[in-house]
Amino acid sequence: MQDPRRTQRYRRHDLIDWFSQEQVSAARVAVIGAGAVGNEVVKNLALLGCGTIDVFDFDEVELHNLTRGVLLRESDAGRNKAEAVAERARDLDPHVMVRAVPGDFWDTMSLGRLHQYHCAIAAVDNFEARLRLNQLCLIGRVNLVNAGLDSRWAAVESFPFAASDDAACYECTLPESAYARVAERYSCGGLRRRAGLERRIPTTVITASVAGALAASMALRLGGEAPRHAQRRLLDTIGGAGTSVGIERREGCPGCGAFARPPRVVRTRNRWSPRRDDQSVAGPGIVEQPMRLSDPLITGYECAACGPLEEEARYVNRRAAEFDDGIATCPKCAAPAVRIEIRDTFTVGELTARFPGGPVPAKFALAEINGDPVCFDLEENLGK
Amino acid sequence: MTQSLKLYVRTADQTRRAELDLDGASTGADIIQAAVDNWALPADTDYTLVNTTTGRAVAPAEDLARSVRPGDVLEVQPVLVAG
Repeated sequence: MQDPRRTQRYRRHDLIDWFSQEQVSAARVAVIGAGAVGNEVVKNLALLGCGTIDVFDFDEVELHNLTRGVLLRESDAGRNKAEAVAERARDLDPHVMVRAVPGDFWDTMSLGRLHQYHCAIAAVDNFEARLRLNQLCLIGRVNLVNAGLDSRWAAVESFPFAASDDAACYECTLPESAYARVAERYSCGGLRRRAGLERRIPTTVITASVAGALAASMALRLGGEAPRHAQRRLLDTIGGAGTSVGIERREGCPGCGAFARPPRVVRTRNRWSPRRDDQSVAGPGIVEQPMRLSDPLITGYECAACGPLEEEARYVNRRAAEFDDGIATCPKCAAPAVRIEIRDTFTVGELTARFPGGPVPAKFALAEINGDPVCFDLEENLGK
Repeated sequence: MTQSLKLYVRTADQTRRAELDLDGASTGADIIQAAVDNWALPADTDYTLVNTTTGRAVAPAEDLARSVRPGDVLEVQPVLVAG
């Protein structure tokens, strides 16, 4: 039997002819980032009665977040943002399931987990995270809503990957300068720069509330049919002017251009052992099959002056993103002379030899098998 | 012979606007760079281009001669990365 308090709560929604409380209550949404926009998105989704909201964030609450965090309090300082936001959102509506997922979403959001959502909302604060979420949603065919802001503008884009294999992606209109900013944070093809300066963009709750409202609306597809094409809305939160444009798929796009169509996702145990070619489902020659990993790996570590280093074992076969460019300084001669080889493409034979028994430290591996794009999900254990 | 296209370019806040005779070989990225340079737009921001007349975003490498018509209004918009 329906809880009468629940029926009472949503009574006004039921009077809106284009609003389906049933549809909203069944929605499962992942909110990546619990900052200014994330707070507003979660608040809106909770008040609308969205069925399941999972909030992802690695960061801790700082006092300067409080001017833009409707769900944060001073007593939350030092807490994980996702946990603080989820706890407060549960207070807004106990009928909504709100869960916190602390940590970097790249580590906590597997493809298996992503498939549980109707939509993922990017409320993060950097290009790299937006690129990564775009890639995950593109492969997983999960709708993506991308929300960004500054002190005046709010922009929200929707990418209906679940509805259309031809939908444009986040990278289809991204300028080269954005990639240059990502590259500024990395050196040697994948190591984080130690001395990198983070760009701080001032924002207010005015732009955050506009972006958060639009993002929640687009995620739940309120007020209309589900779009089959990517769209962008840009709103001036001071003057009120705005534009709404369609985004078309770009030939040669660094994101979606890699696949003629979204790859078939194959879940694996990520256990690598040699087997005879003719036993493989992919047919003979599988050992030579190239695979592109989601995460570049360090494959070589040697000082140009001192030669092989005993520290090699500490770095080789690990994800490059785990380390910063400080490891390029030789521990023996103290010169910045260490040659670090980083790769993201390997044959199956190479992976089997490097990781006998597994696992390969990556989220997924992309390959083209018999002309078909295939994505091997390497994180089955995270698919909770 | 290179075909010339007359169109309009403006910033999103519409405080800057220019009429432009476009070289047929220009791309979306060329227009953005010209706007940043001529209007001294903040260099720490990234920009994208939309055609407000047709209601579609312009890809950075898009050959404008193939997608823009005379009199179209192009708008230089900030790419917003903060969340």
